Amino acid sequence: MRQHSKDLGRRQFFRTLGGGTVAAAAAVASPMGATEAQAYDPGTEETRSRYRLSDHVKAFYRTNGYETLLKNSDPAPGTK
Amino acid sequence: MARMKFLCDADRCIECNACVTACKNEHEVPWGINRRRVVTLNDGKPGERSVSMACMHCTDAPCAAVCPVNCFYTTADGVVLHSKDICIGCGYCFYACPFGAPQYPRVGNFGSRGKMDKCTYCSGGPEPDLSTAEYEKYGSNRLAEGKLPLCAEMCSTKALLAGDGEMIAEIYKQRVLKRGYGSGAWGWKTAYRETVAI
Repeated sequence: MRQHSKDLGRRQFFRTLGGGTVAAAAAVASPMGATEAQAYDPGTEETRSRYRLSDHVKAFYRTNGYETLLKNSDPAPGTK
Repeated sequence: MARMKFLCDADRCIECNACVTACKNEHEVPWGINRRRVVTLNDGKPGERSVSMACMHCTDAPCAAVCPVNCFYTTADGVVLHSKDICIGCGYCFYACPFGAPQYPRVGNFGSRGKMDKCTYCSGGPEPDLSTAEYEKYGSNRLAEGKLPLCAEMCSTKALLAGDGEMIAEIYKQRVLKRGYGSGAWGWKTAYRETVAI
């Protein structure tokens, strides 16, 4: 009987400790929840398109497609 | 708006590793990192195929989804880049990537890691175009020079295609019509969630 009451005391102790921890965690977390995570935005200049259909790029398309495209009598991509 | 993509025609790749060498030389990639690798399946057996793999610059990039510091961003060209100033080298992106593209240099003893390094589609990073800072962190910016990734331009068998997705898909379709489907455009469905249908 004495042992039983001792167990109850231990459980009560951890219950109280657990409740206190949850309250402390909520207190710490509440200011963090106020700010949402934001994706990195380097700016419009950094993310603008840099690809250009230059003569260099047209030559790449032409040489990569020449085998089949020319035999099919279609103009090569990028040469229209 | 053109959407930049890679396409490796595995029926043409001869595993010469010129793309790997060209990339390392062009960007002065540090030891221990290969932004591009050639993977050979069924090596020495009938049906052997080699595929040149790098970052595929996915439409919904898993690396960007798992990054805890959100250092990834996608340019208007569809190129997935990252900021090495923000990267903390946690390694999550390496595990998330279906192609094993992001890699980490070992910069010191005891397994310490620096900033993640990956293929930039030869388009630098967030620093000003063609600046020294951009070159030191990310390598050269060929896209800003009106060129395409050097790995594709160097490919002697024209296996590796780069450029506007619609354009290279058209080239690939013409090849398929001529010779048959073969082994297909490896990785396209994973990266771009679409097939090169004919």
